[in-house]
Amino acid sequence: MFTTFIKVAILSLSTVVITSANAEINQTKGDYIDKFRQLDESLPTPNVYRNAAGEPGHQYWQQQVDYVIKAKLDEEKRRIEASQTITYHNNSPDTLKYLWVQLDQNKFREDSMSATTTTFGGIGSRGPATSSATSSKPARLSLDALRRQQFVDDNVLGYDIQSVKDNKGNKLHYVIVGTNMRIDLPKKLPPGKEITFDIDYTFNIVEEDAVSARSGYEHFPDDARKGGNDIFLLAQWFPRLHAYTDYEAWTNKEFIGRGEFTLEFGNYDVELTVPADHIVSSTGKLTNARSVLTSTQRKRLKEAEKADRIVFVVTEEEALENEKEGTDKTKTWKFSAKNVRDFAWASSRKFMWDARGHQQGGTEQPLVMAMSFYPKEGGDLWKKYSTESIIHTLDVYSRFSFDYPYPVAQSVNGPVGGMEYPMITFNGPRTELQKDGSRTYSQAEKRFLIGVVIHEIGHIYFPMIVNSDERQWTWMDEGLNSFLDGVAGREWDPTIPWGVEPRDIVGYMKSSVQVPIMTQSDSVLRLGPNGYTKPAAALNILRETILGRELFDFAFKEYATRWKYKRPTPSDFFRTMEEASGVDLDWFWRGWFYSTDHVDISLDKISKLRLDTKNPDIDFNRLRQEELDKPLSKTDERNKAEGKKLWIERFSDITDFYDENDRFTVTNKERNTYNKFIDKLKPWERKTLERAIKEDKNYYVLDFSNKGGLVMPIILELNFADGSKENQYIPAEIWRRTPKAVSKLIITDKDKELVSVTVDPRWETADVDVHNNHYPRKIIPSRIEAYKRKKSTAKVSRDIMQDIKTELKENDKDSSENDKKQ
Amino acid sequence: MIKSSNQLLAILLFGVLLIAAPYSAAHQQKSAISTISFNPRTQNIEIMHRFRMHDAEHAVKHIFGKNADIINSTETKEQFSDYVNQHFSMLVNDESLLLTNIGYENDGQFFWVYQETAEPSALENMSIRHDALRDIWPNQVNTINIEGKGVVQTVTFSDSVELLKVSF
Repeated sequence: MFTTFIKVAILSLSTVVITSANAEINQTKGDYIDKFRQLDESLPTPNVYRNAAGEPGHQYWQQQVDYVIKAKLDEEKRRIEASQTITYHNNSPDTLKYLWVQLDQNKFREDSMSATTTTFGGIGSRGPATSSATSSKPARLSLDALRRQQFVDDNVLGYDIQSVKDNKGNKLHYVIVGTNMRIDLPKKLPPGKEITFDIDYTFNIVEEDAVSARSGYEHFPDDARKGGNDIFLLAQWFPRLHAYTDYEAWTNKEFIGRGEFTLEFGNYDVELTVPADHIVSSTGKLTNARSVLTSTQRKRLKEAEKADRIVFVVTEEEALENEKEGTDKTKTWKFSAKNVRDFAWASSRKFMWDARGHQQGGTEQPLVMAMSFYPKEGGDLWKKYSTESIIHTLDVYSRFSFDYPYPVAQSVNGPVGGMEYPMITFNGPRTELQKDGSRTYSQAEKRFLIGVVIHEIGHIYFPMIVNSDERQWTWMDEGLNSFLDGVAGREWDPTIPWGVEPRDIVGYMKSSVQVPIMTQSDSVLRLGPNGYTKPAAALNILRETILGRELFDFAFKEYATRWKYKRPTPSDFFRTMEEASGVDLDWFWRGWFYSTDHVDISLDKISKLRLDTKNPDIDFNRLRQEELDKPLSKTDERNKAEGKKLWIERFSDITDFYDENDRFTVTNKERNTYNKFIDKLKPWERKTLERAIKEDKNYYVLDFSNKGGLVMPIILELNFADGSKENQYIPAEIWRRTPKAVSKLIITDKDKELVSVTVDPRWETADVDVHNNHYPRKIIPSRIEAYKRKKSTAKVSRDIMQDIKTELKENDKDSSENDKKQ
Repeated sequence: MIKSSNQLLAILLFGVLLIAAPYSAAHQQKSAISTISFNPRTQNIEIMHRFRMHDAEHAVKHIFGKNADIINSTETKEQFSDYVNQHFSMLVNDESLLLTNIGYENDGQFFWVYQETAEPSALENMSIRHDALRDIWPNQVNTINIEGKGVVQTVTFSDSVELLKVSF
């Protein structure tokens, strides 16, 4: 006991020493900030599990957890009853005395940390809102908040863990801590060994619209069937093992709502018993198609494998017929999934089902079935674009990473706006039912569908395969994925604004609500711009501006393939990108990911210099010319205008030497000095001077200041008097010794006279203030000034599908209705 | 009757067009960003409110009724622009500045509303109120960057914050 204590004491002492050692690298004199300080001291020390290259180390390990689950969906009670057998493989070098399990459904309990720490009227949690009292308004509860409260009151939520037993049927001791459960092992689990145990559990499914979750049911009361129908989306629906890692041991941080999931890979065999008229979409490969699909459906599926366009496995007509009535019978769908980190599924009698095979080639998974499941409410929007968006995503993402390794990739329409799981995604966009019974959608909704399907299918790569820790770092999956969905989106249709351009993030970056990207998910103030847009824009800049496509794409693919089916941390990403590209990027990670600096580079001044020849016969003439070029004295000018006769004019007979020779007259005295100077020059000095005089180039000194703090390359557009243009790229390293201001000499040929210079002319660095990017300064109309000049009417959001039905009014005088349409 | 610290909780009526959390940038975010910019050339203060189209699409149906349509109806656009004008104000010495309604436009995924006013002389500080959409959605967050007068200042309207002051 005592020895242990001593060890602990020493350990914590050394931690203190390390921390203060870091803190001790400090500039305590002057105001120099080393924006290029290497990150080594901030990154974790490389080890045998994660090496200094950002690669899995030679003793890299991760746990494996296999699940065999039998679950029954009770449609009437909207309840899951299940039993599962878990096999836990301890591949770590540590001996485990207990296992930690995630009980995510417990988040919905009234006494959960998530519920008890939701502030009234405050920010932070997902779901229905409240607002506290202000001087003019009483405190308010939204109907949504009340609906949530009532739902929580009326339904018992959270897991009912009925038993936890070992494979011999002996009860295992367990303790539930909020959304976590510790299972004490009867015998320590040494490295290399495995343990199998069973958990029986039930829970009531939440109504997604009432509680705002990542899964749940949605009720359709207006369907023809008496009592209506539901779509069930099941995720976080079984007790899942927490990850046990080399960098954090058990990642058992309470599930509060924002930081998502950290999970282990494993194999799943899952049997789902649902009403016999339901269609099930699930993670994994359907292994008993013969017992759950009709022969027609199986034939259609087969046909879809090589089809050019989608094939309906369940048509709209069949789905509409199906949703008219229910059944008491059940069917059991069996799925098998290899090497996945999670398992989700959806079930409803409302689903139509389309499919198209994506023949990606390669050896690992030559055929991927892209499939979509949606109710009539999804309509034509889904028929046209869902499955096609899946295939486009696989195409683009695989180019940046690896072949899609799973047999299916699915998009399911339900109450969730957008959420990802292995092989299956939930996506929200729908059509609008019009009075004439038709269904139409706006262009915004179309963009939403294509965008959200690309985004969620993209998540199957990041983080479902490149398994980053979502509970800690939102940006590692959302940022990387938003960057790639922007790439895929632009390859779909660049006219759709994808929102990951550098210019899209300047508003956030100049604001004081910015927090560093390297902030734990639950603490981030503005998750959208922080976890999604800023890292995506940063990677975009890295690819298009700093590294270039060749270096970036190689390094990014290296990261993806290194960490395929493994668990990367931020340092592994930073190290890999730097190590594989061969470019020092520590300044970039520091500026963009570790700080709240923004980019604002100002071009303050340009001075033109001319080389002195030292030759008095040349230089004195130039000086005389300079004098003559100065503006004429106003007094002299007016005297002349008034016709004043000068004394020297009136007495022109009185003159002397100085009337003939001005002060710039060269004498032999100067010539002798010059000759002496030339004589004393070493041959190379003389040659250099002679050549420079002959070429007589233009020398410009450009003074820049860094107003935003973030060091970035300086991209220049030089405009010359002859109308030509030249671009120059100055790497960020120019700021290394003077991060606040730098001067740069630019030399041009004699006939290339500079007239103006623009910094970052293509807006590729996220510079927040473009006014100071021009020299000479340019009047840039503000948004309002530009608007006043030209009233723009963007027409992309019109629901033209509906408008096109507008009848032409015959009577011109009564056309006010049409006038309203823009 | 629900009572809380003797204060009646008013129930705010709004529909059930709830879309789940921000997994994609494409749907409702319930956040707007505005810029208050001092234009040295015109001596005007320019106010530019940027709403997400998807937020505005849903908001107008709550505020002006089911048939409101920010995409197709000029009437709705004008109504929404007026609404924003009514829910934003700047106060100097407790006096509201008279803001001119300049117009609105739809630009890609954003809906913009513009206002303008002459810059008062010797302006040392100013209070800002920005309730747009916060009266219908308690979790609407409005962020404002104030630019062109010293360093950029940011004010955020969230929770029950209703009046914020900036000094120059």
